[in-house]
Amino acid sequence: MRKRTLARGLAGIWWVTLFFLYVPLFVIVLFSFNSANSTAIFENFSLVWYRRLFGNEQIIDAFGHSLVLAVSSSIVALVIGCLIGYGMYRHRHRKLGWLIVLIYLPIVLPDIVFGISEMAFFVQIHAWTGLLKPGLGTMIIAHVTFQIPFVALIVYSRFVGLDPTLFEAAKDLYASPVKRVVHFMVPTIKPALISAFFLSFTLSIDDFVISFFTAGPESATLPIYIWSAIKKGVTPEINAIATLMIGAVAIAAIFSMLFNRQGRR
Amino acid sequence: MSETMTADIADHPDARPAADERDRSNHKASSIEMQGLHKRFGRDTVALDGVDLNIRAGEFFTLLGPSGCGKTTLLRILAGLEEPDAGSLVVGGKDITETPPHQRSVNTVFQSYALFPHLSVRENLAFGLKMRGMPAAKRHAKVDEIADFIKLGDLVDRHVDQLSGGQRQRIALARALICEPDVLLLDEPLSALDAGLRSQLQVELLRVQKRLGMTFVFVTHDQQEAMVMSDRIAVLNGGTIQQVGPPREVYERPVNAFVAHFMGHDNLYPISARQGDRLTTALGELTAEEAGDGELLLIRPETLDLLPGAVERPNHLTATVTERLYRGSHAEFRLAIGDTTLQATVNNRGRHLPEVGETVTVAVAPEDLVTLSE
Repeated sequence: MRKRTLARGLAGIWWVTLFFLYVPLFVIVLFSFNSANSTAIFENFSLVWYRRLFGNEQIIDAFGHSLVLAVSSSIVALVIGCLIGYGMYRHRHRKLGWLIVLIYLPIVLPDIVFGISEMAFFVQIHAWTGLLKPGLGTMIIAHVTFQIPFVALIVYSRFVGLDPTLFEAAKDLYASPVKRVVHFMVPTIKPALISAFFLSFTLSIDDFVISFFTAGPESATLPIYIWSAIKKGVTPEINAIATLMIGAVAIAAIFSMLFNRQGRR
Repeated sequence: MSETMTADIADHPDARPAADERDRSNHKASSIEMQGLHKRFGRDTVALDGVDLNIRAGEFFTLLGPSGCGKTTLLRILAGLEEPDAGSLVVGGKDITETPPHQRSVNTVFQSYALFPHLSVRENLAFGLKMRGMPAAKRHAKVDEIADFIKLGDLVDRHVDQLSGGQRQRIALARALICEPDVLLLDEPLSALDAGLRSQLQVELLRVQKRLGMTFVFVTHDQQEAMVMSDRIAVLNGGTIQQVGPPREVYERPVNAFVAHFMGHDNLYPISARQGDRLTTALGELTAEEAGDGELLLIRPETLDLLPGAVERPNHLTATVTERLYRGSHAEFRLAIGDTTLQATVNNRGRHLPEVGETVTVAVAPEDLVTLSE
């Protein structure tokens, strides 16, 4: 009897958690289709806010920035993170404690600290050399730096999960160093690479704090635009943007999960 | 006499396929010469401590020893996966000591099989050929050919995930053979399989080797397996070779106590006095014929005859049965002679098998006694 009460209590916590997690999202999605300019009363189904959204040049620009930033930073982070992940695997028998900490650190570091320090750094460099003017370029660098650890860890854990004799089998079967990369390593960890790319993409699209500090006046991303727009009050237009972002991120996350699972099979 | 006996053992036909069966292959087999191979890991671990070894072309050669004896290191040096600290390695007359693994015409069947998980069975089989730049159509034909030869049947079109241990083992063998290497290396390829499948694959492996006439270097810690498979065996311990010879020679005439123990012999007795052919041990006095001049006497359990009761005859020992293990085809006895124990194995020919506590006479033929050094 007591056991049953406990089970019900735990189930209750589960439902409350789900409620607070998903009801706000549901409300936003719902009201993005509201015909009225209200975030409280739903009148009729309508795509008016989406039409408005796509007519707003600032939003389209911000969306473009977000996309360029996410794709290019993810590609760069994938290449560098992959090399680091492989390096960590190759030298896993050495004592690499401090190096691993260095790689993990950006994951646990508060974004605000990271963002401010990146900004200060870029501003200094720009003052001294005239290079690294705040804009899309500095944002890509900043995003790459926080994406790398995730990529490196995904790639590393995939390599660790492999039978180490596979590397020897590839050598034994006449694969030169270059051929080993092309015909063995890359195809073997491909699911991890795709997973890492989508995770990086999601992290980048989602990021506000670091983007905010490293952006220039002409490189506002979607989250930055939303933040500045919201100061004038929440409009159903914001709901529509949020809905599109939820969709995009959900798709990327699902891809990331699917490929990661496939790789672990 | 001793020399003729050794030669006799070496030439014994055993149950091996006839020589003409070997000639069916058109494959060029290569010999291997290893000289002064040393390998050390870290500061203190000596894996190989000066190995000189010649392996003949077309031979099924086994490296036998306990774990840590250096047999796997030696195999990895042959494959090029490990570099020796000193010494040279010549395969087919070519020095390949410094040649990287992907440029050696040597292929390995790994203990874990190491099949590529991202490739189908067919792609796994063709991997080596593809890396060597063989065009796709030719690769396809080669895969069909090897699949036919190893009798893989429809395994070729499966995914690696769907294979059992025995099937993986055969794919791994086929993937190495398809490249037609000068030398095939096998690193305990059967150790992960259950006993039945294992003996079945032993026979299959032996048949493949004889038909191809390829040089096989096989690593195992199982002396039974080594004796079944090999033309010759090298017994290793502590990074050095203890003995090299055909299975019967290594089993029947081990050169030292380590080899004797490793081949499964327990009846070893220090010789306390010797007068010509008369050797005194804790068992008593025994006459040996051509026993050599080692300081240990080896009595193989299966060379002993047990007669009921105490019979006073030269070269016979009187013993008491302390343990009897009946195994159907034969029985194993533990006998006490004074404070010393002796093991005997007797074939079950339907005759009387002594009971525990019974007094028996143990008969030993002088020519079956062998001495060896520590």
